Amino acid sequence: MSAGEHKMLTLTETTCGTLLNELQIIWDEVGESDAEKDIMLLELERECLEVYRRKVDQANKCRAQLRQAIADAEAELAAICSSIGEPPVHIRQSDQSTGSLKAELRAILPQIEEMRKRKSDRKKQFIEVNGEIQSIKNEIYGGGYASKDASVNETDLSLRKLEELHIELQALQNEKCERLKHVHEYLNYLYLGCSVLGLDFKQTVSEIHPRLGEPEGKDISNGTIEQLRTAIQRMQEVKTQRMQQLQDLASSLLELWNLMDTPIEEQQNFQKVTCNIAASEDEITEPGILSAEFINHVKAEVSRLEELKVSKMKELVFKKKGELEDICRKTHLIPESNSSVDLAIEAVESGAVDASCVLEQIEIQISKVREEALNRKDMLEKVEKWMAACDEESWLEEYNRDDNRYSAVRGAHLVLKRAEKARVLVNKLPAMVETLASKTTAWEKENGVYFTYDGVRLLSMLEDYMTLRQEKELERKRQRDQKKLQGQLLTEQEALYGSKPSPMKNQSAKKGARLSCGGAATGRRLSLGGNMIQTPRHDMPPPAKATPVTRNAKKSQRITHDSLKDDGFQTLSSGRRGLDLAGLPVNQHSREVEPPSPMMRKPFSPISSTDSSRSNATNILGDMNQKHNEMLQKMLTSNNTTTPFTPPKTIPTAEVENIMPQAASTPSTTLPIPMHLAMTPMQKPVPSATLQMAAITPAKAVEEEIEYSFEEKRAGFVLPRSHLVNLMMQV
Amino acid sequence: MTAAPPPSTGRELLSPPTDGISNLRFSNHSDHLLVSSWDKSVRLYDASANALRGEFMHGGAVLDCCFHDDTSGFSASADHTVRRLVFNHNREDVLGRHDGPVRCVEYSYATGQVITGSWDKTLKCWDPRSSSGQDRSLVGTYTQPERVYSMSVVGNRLVVATAGRNVNVYDLRNMSQPEQRRESSLKYQTRCVRSYPNGTGYALSSVEGRVAMEFFDLSEAGQSKKYAFKCHRKSEAGRDIVYPVNAIAFHPIYGTFATGGCDGYVNMWDGNNKKRLYQYTKYPTSIAALSFSRDGRLLAVASSYTYEEGDKPHEPDAIYVRSVNEVEVKPKPKMLPNPAS
Repeated sequence: MSAGEHKMLTLTETTCGTLLNELQIIWDEVGESDAEKDIMLLELERECLEVYRRKVDQANKCRAQLRQAIADAEAELAAICSSIGEPPVHIRQSDQSTGSLKAELRAILPQIEEMRKRKSDRKKQFIEVNGEIQSIKNEIYGGGYASKDASVNETDLSLRKLEELHIELQALQNEKCERLKHVHEYLNYLYLGCSVLGLDFKQTVSEIHPRLGEPEGKDISNGTIEQLRTAIQRMQEVKTQRMQQLQDLASSLLELWNLMDTPIEEQQNFQKVTCNIAASEDEITEPGILSAEFINHVKAEVSRLEELKVSKMKELVFKKKGELEDICRKTHLIPESNSSVDLAIEAVESGAVDASCVLEQIEIQISKVREEALNRKDMLEKVEKWMAACDEESWLEEYNRDDNRYSAVRGAHLVLKRAEKARVLVNKLPAMVETLASKTTAWEKENGVYFTYDGVRLLSMLEDYMTLRQEKELERKRQRDQKKLQGQLLTEQEALYGSKPSPMKNQSAKKGARLSCGGAATGRRLSLGGNMIQTPRHDMPPPAKATPVTRNAKKSQRITHDSLKDDGFQTLSSGRRGLDLAGLPVNQHSREVEPPSPMMRKPFSPISSTDSSRSNATNILGDMNQKHNEMLQKMLTSNNTTTPFTPPKTIPTAEVENIMPQAASTPSTTLPIPMHLAMTPMQKPVPSATLQMAAITPAKAVEEEIEYSFEEKRAGFVLPRSHLVNLMMQV
Repeated sequence: MTAAPPPSTGRELLSPPTDGISNLRFSNHSDHLLVSSWDKSVRLYDASANALRGEFMHGGAVLDCCFHDDTSGFSASADHTVRRLVFNHNREDVLGRHDGPVRCVEYSYATGQVITGSWDKTLKCWDPRSSSGQDRSLVGTYTQPERVYSMSVVGNRLVVATAGRNVNVYDLRNMSQPEQRRESSLKYQTRCVRSYPNGTGYALSSVEGRVAMEFFDLSEAGQSKKYAFKCHRKSEAGRDIVYPVNAIAFHPIYGTFATGGCDGYVNMWDGNNKKRLYQYTKYPTSIAALSFSRDGRLLAVASSYTYEEGDKPHEPDAIYVRSVNEVEVKPKPKMLPNPAS
């Protein structure tokens, strides 16, 4: 109690005493009774007590309130402390020292304030972290992730929790980084892939997520990443597929190039395709190399080459076919199943069959034919020789019919020489045919098939030839008789009119004597022969030139019908034969460098365009009669009584025409020949065959086919018999 | 080109043989020229003086001749004899005989022997130093597969070409059997064979306008060098007329060679570079034989019908000696890069 209060009390006490005094005075004056006075005083005393009591209650209540407030504050403090995880502040202890309740309260209040502030700070931190976490989680897990954890748990705001949250945040941030990195990687990959595949990167990406294409703010949610992943996978699939495709194309390109020797410049354009042929998927990085456009480009090239190849294959097929036909022609085989090849070629053209298949087929055929040709080679050579001999024979016949043959035109000596040779050759023909026939039979026996020549059996050809020959011989005999008669008639005529008819008039009639030339103008090579016939001959007088083939054909056809028993087939075959002979010189012309025939070896001699359509057999007949005096033949005295054979139809003219030739040819010592004889009495007429040819000719023939040098011929040197035998042995 | 009257063909020798010339050869020591002919004579000319220095008559046509030294020579005759001719004394004697006409004669300086080839299908070697008489001079007889047509000797190598396109190569030191038996790579009759001066091979010509260049070396590399070429042909009206190549003569210094054909042309060839160097103007008739003088300055050309077409009227036989310009025979090196341009 302060002094003031004490003073007031004393003051109040004084005032009360004075007041009582005053009351006493008043009461004295009023004269109150003592009873009254006592009641009044008692009332006074009760009222005072009441006031006191009230005040004490009031104070008491106030104190309780204070205590309550302190307790509250303390509780709050404790709660905050516990929530932020700090040790509670002990206020009670300090209670004793501070004393009054009010002081205590005063002391506690700032603490609370402080703590509250701290708590709110902490809470703010939490909210911040939580917000971040939330946003990251949102990014990662997508919008679907509910913010159920958004409110901060007030009860636990401890540092540890914060730490935890921080760690979580860190982790989330890391993950986000990671994901970003991934996304970037994926995007990079996608970009590369798109560039390789030639796709629009932006479009591809925005299909996955609209914001992925932008430089900032990439979406890193699971869904996006998953989508990215699948997109990449898809892309890789596409890439592998296209790569496969490209590599297939490349390999076919290479194959085609290789096949067709495509020039390097052309290849250069596709070098980058082919250089990747063995590359693995990730080695292919060049932008656009797998784009659909580029692949189509390559595809187009491949298909172009393919087409080229097909056309080339076709060409090849045709070439091979040509080759086959050529071989067949050369070996005088009839190409078997040619039609099947034609069919196959048609099929190739229509694209139904692979050309290579046909090619293979043709190759097989070619090899077959080659084999066969090899088998036939020896025989063929002999046949060729025979043909050549027949050719010479027909030439000789024509020549014998030429009345101007002894005129001293340029090159006449060469023709004479040829005639000599031809006569010798013709003499050997029957033997040749005989050996050929026996060889053929042997061959056929050995091979079990007919030996055919241009589809005709050789034996039948030989038979035809021999019958033709015999017939002609008969004909000739008849003619000779006739001529004798004619001669008598003429001498009579001469006696009457004094002149003989000129043989020159009947040139054209003689043309009819081409017997063995079949009338069949159907043969493929007839035109060839026709050309030959039409080529002008140097050694013949103008009337003999350029006889159109049709005329010959017609005539001979008539002849064959009239005078021979040839059926159509034989006619055809003989026609072919004749044409072959005609074809031979043509080949030589075109080859021009390697003259294989004996005539060609003679350097200055003109290459005679042998008119093969003439009879092959005509003038053999006469020669056959002289087979016995071979010696004389050799000496080239050649009393060859060959009279031109004319068909029966033209006999009336022939009768007249034949007189002069006969008169001239019976001695047959033609004008230039004696000079030959004088200078070269022992000369062999034929230096013709090369050694190879000599090798295959029979022993009898060798004698004629030995080569001699110019000096030997000039010196008249002849190999003695013994040498010949030696030669034979060596051969 | 000289300005002499027939500038293109060279100087024609006076008093030529009266019939076909079979061969002619220059001496190795002088400009003397030995000529054998079908008129049964062998003549010796002084080419530089254009004078006939000697004439030897034989029993038959003379098919070949060669020098021994400057004073004597040998001849091969169609009367089967091989003769030695001594020019100074105008004396001749028979060295030996064959069984047939003797086609070729060669003298080998390496062995000092005379080698003759005949149509009797033999080769014979003779020793000319021994006194005459076949028994003593004959060294050996070697059978050939066919009649001998041409022969050539360089060093110790002898190349014999026969009918049937056979070619035998001998080493003269061992004649027992051919070192090589070959077949001509040409398809037609051999006309002439001549060894290269360097002894590595031979040139062979045929009746069909072709010359083959062959090598002795049988290795693949050696054989890969061989080749043949066409020559003495004429293209007329779209076809070739092919002439026999009668003569080959190698230039003694440059190794280039001349060929003569029935077309009357003499061509100079560079075998290494496969080039024709020169073609002389046409001679009146076939070129029967060719020979370079020892220094290669003169070329003797026998223009004489070789009876390739039998007996017929022909130009007179003549021998031309032409001086050879270096340009005509010097090998032209292959194109070298010219630094100036």
